[in-house]
Amino acid sequence: MNETTDFILFLGRFHPLVVHLPIGFLFFAFLLELYGKWKNTPALTAAIPLALLSGVISAAVACILGYMLSLGGDYSESTLDIHFWFGIATTIITFLAWLIRVEKINISKPNSIKSNISLLTLIVVLLSITGHYGGNLTHGSDYLTKYAPFGKVKKQALAPLAKVEDANIYSYLVNPILENKCTSCHNTDKKKGGLMLHDSISILKGGKNGEVLIAGNASKSELIRRVLLEPHHDDFMPPEGKTPLTEEEITILSYWIDNANADFNSNVGTVKTPETVLEIASNMLGLGEKEKGEIDLPTMGAIDDVVLNDILSEGFNLRELVYESNLYEVLLPPNTIIESNTNQLDVKLQKLSKIKDHILWLYIEDNLLNDSHMKVINQFQNLQKIVISKNHITDAGISEIKNLSNLSSINLYKTAISKKSLDYFSKMKNLKKVYAWQTNISEKDLETSKSERFFEVIVKP
Amino acid sequence: MCDHHDILKSNNKDLQSVEKQIDRRYFLKKTSLGLGALALGSLLNTEKAWSSIGTPESTEAILANYNKNRLGLPHHLPKAKRIIYLFQSGGPSQMDLFDYKPKLVDMFGQDLPKSVIGGQRLTGMSGSQSTLPIAPSLFKFKQYGESRTWVSELMPHLSEVVDDLCFMKGMQTDQINHTPAITFFQTGHQLPGRPSIGSWLSYGLGSDNENLPTFITLVSKNGKGQPLKASLWGNGFLPTEHQGVQFRSGKDPVLYLNNPDNYDGNDRKKMLDYLDKLNTIQHDAYGDPEIQARMAQYEMAYKMQTSVPEVTDTSDEPDHIFEMYGKDSRDPGTYAANCLMARKLLEKGVKFVQLYHQGWDQHIFCPGGLRNQCQKTDQGTAALIKDLKQRGMLDDTLVIWGGEFGRTVYSQGQLTDQNYGRDHHPKAFTMWMAGAGVKPGFSYGETDDFSYNVTKDPLHVHDFHATLLHLFGIDHERLTFKHQGRRYRLTDVHGHVVKDLLT
Repeated sequence: MNETTDFILFLGRFHPLVVHLPIGFLFFAFLLELYGKWKNTPALTAAIPLALLSGVISAAVACILGYMLSLGGDYSESTLDIHFWFGIATTIITFLAWLIRVEKINISKPNSIKSNISLLTLIVVLLSITGHYGGNLTHGSDYLTKYAPFGKVKKQALAPLAKVEDANIYSYLVNPILENKCTSCHNTDKKKGGLMLHDSISILKGGKNGEVLIAGNASKSELIRRVLLEPHHDDFMPPEGKTPLTEEEITILSYWIDNANADFNSNVGTVKTPETVLEIASNMLGLGEKEKGEIDLPTMGAIDDVVLNDILSEGFNLRELVYESNLYEVLLPPNTIIESNTNQLDVKLQKLSKIKDHILWLYIEDNLLNDSHMKVINQFQNLQKIVISKNHITDAGISEIKNLSNLSSINLYKTAISKKSLDYFSKMKNLKKVYAWQTNISEKDLETSKSERFFEVIVKP
Repeated sequence: MCDHHDILKSNNKDLQSVEKQIDRRYFLKKTSLGLGALALGSLLNTEKAWSSIGTPESTEAILANYNKNRLGLPHHLPKAKRIIYLFQSGGPSQMDLFDYKPKLVDMFGQDLPKSVIGGQRLTGMSGSQSTLPIAPSLFKFKQYGESRTWVSELMPHLSEVVDDLCFMKGMQTDQINHTPAITFFQTGHQLPGRPSIGSWLSYGLGSDNENLPTFITLVSKNGKGQPLKASLWGNGFLPTEHQGVQFRSGKDPVLYLNNPDNYDGNDRKKMLDYLDKLNTIQHDAYGDPEIQARMAQYEMAYKMQTSVPEVTDTSDEPDHIFEMYGKDSRDPGTYAANCLMARKLLEKGVKFVQLYHQGWDQHIFCPGGLRNQCQKTDQGTAALIKDLKQRGMLDDTLVIWGGEFGRTVYSQGQLTDQNYGRDHHPKAFTMWMAGAGVKPGFSYGETDDFSYNVTKDPLHVHDFHATLLHLFGIDHERLTFKHQGRRYRLTDVHGHVVKDLLT
């Protein structure tokens, strides 16, 4: 069909514009019929023949223009056929309806009312079907229902990855970009320029102008050339009105063609991958690069509401440290425990220990905490930070918690610990800071074995 | 008004007719909100959208949800849980304090080369000068600490804590005049009207102490200069309860907290509860969020009657603490006293304390002016760092020191052996941070020999904001608020987290 002249196509492109005229006319004819009957207004019914005639003429023009457009060959043939024949059927039925209405065809009186309404109903049905297939041709068959709240078909999800290196370049990086920005026009139903980009076979096949990929040479590949053109250029892709590709997306596509030779099986880890691409890829896959020095966060399930309420009602403040991580900062406001209610602390800590692995930061400052409570705290194995300053804690208490191996900071300011605790601290592998101002640890105590110490002890500013 | 009436209605006929009316504006607001809610329902997962309209949530459910952040924050594990921003308003001179430029001495009085200025538009204050004579700093610099950081003799106290500080010497801003520059620093935009940093944090992360505001501003009384205004700690388009509360500098930080004579305050709670009922009815009718903000503020004011006197009372501070902060610290409202108060506020769970000290605008008499400023602020600042550190609070507190821009290397007005003035300079200046998650004893960014252009690692105000939010576990691109048809962020469409500053 390459011989189709440009002029024919020029006219054909008016089809989507003209096609809305018959739709409007005919729906309105239907409305006039209904309303005219209901309110018995002959003045309205009188307008129906005109609406029908306008419908016939415009529908016929739309059919011709539609045929011209179809000669361009950008559409899938099965859908196109349906749209084509339904369009013609609509036009013919409308013509018949008009003939009956103006009594060019005689049907006995009593029947004519029924035939009028039933024909108009039929026209509306036909119009809807034709219109729907037409819409599918332009926008793709899932356009209408894509965001429908019901019957959503879960797309086959890609298995989540632990690290970027494991990602298959095509399916995890390239395909999502194509799906997002290209396949609405380059798919099985609507193949603009004869090109389909929805799977590996069709990508390799290319379009009317030949192959779109030259393995190992992104800058010469049509796929890349088109997106890098000046945006007002006729060949620029995606065309005007659609969202252009971002720099990151172009980088990924070029990387796939250049570094992975446009291979559909390569993984990020198996080809040479520059730092920038790694970063973009990690972002796309939601695998934020791990920050240096960061301790892995434990994965925890949700805490039962009853347990949570119980702990909250004991006066603890809870704050989730990372949204939906179920990891918490827990704080008992200072002076919640005073001389008169000392015995309550045991109960509170027992209740708190129900979520022992969920606690990352713990603050129990100035609450008459003593050595006997430290055994409970030793169960909180995921603790990274603990603030238990201004309490009656001695070295014996510290010896109880020396197994807290994730602890990086411990605040013991204004407690009764002494030099002996330094040995216990050195058992805590991840410890970095010990705050020990106003304790029995002196600057002199810190002089000994200073070089071996991997954590800092702050005894004075 | 009686307790057994669930719905409060007027007995007066005229008032009843008014109650029945809904004026045009509220009609439009209510109907459009209603449509908005419907549209929202279709956008969201339907199940979730409708559940909130169904049965009212039980108190248990509310309790259980309270520890879940409604905005999906934090995005990652935070390093900081509170912040003190020591804002040095006016624009401190970087080359007289931290950015040591020894080569300038040999260039005393020479005209600043055009190549250095690079076509930059100067202010009207010095732009018309016939020469721009280079003015080397009058002050001696020495290296301090294990980090061997250069600090001028003006800051003897701060030089003791340099190993805890993270200097940013390549700061850059877009604004050359005070008001837009400060507004830009505090809100991310040069025009007033956007939410300030503290309001964003309050909105995003909520409160750690229900009895005190999340965001408190203190302006020291012993600094005079370009005026500051409430929009700098304003909430912009965020809900009103997130605006900064300014404590007065003086003996009574919050006025009218004491009960008036002959009133014992016993039934105030009851009165407020009734007021709350009335406001709830009003809110149910009109759905205006300002009503909720007002209710929250009444409640807060009530709580502050006990919490504020408690936190502002410094009588329990031992003498050695006052000595550390300097003798000013016994005089409420001074910079040093505010530093001490800031520490006490943070201890009580206030998230953001914003200190302002004015008077860093040394257009003339720069050496004398700086001496005076540093004398008022140096000891308090250093003491705050020390005090936070010894209490272990520096571990999760971020301290920031800096102005809205820097100052020029050339003298504004006449240059003499003993005197010079310096004009505003936005293209390079120095700030520092300390504490939670930032590298101690570290310096980032370098300037040329004139402290005029950044030669390595520039750090723009937007990057500073992005990094600040990052330390609080917030991805600056994802903390947004929709207003007038588009989503806003503190960094708007800019900003990169500067990972090199982080531990």
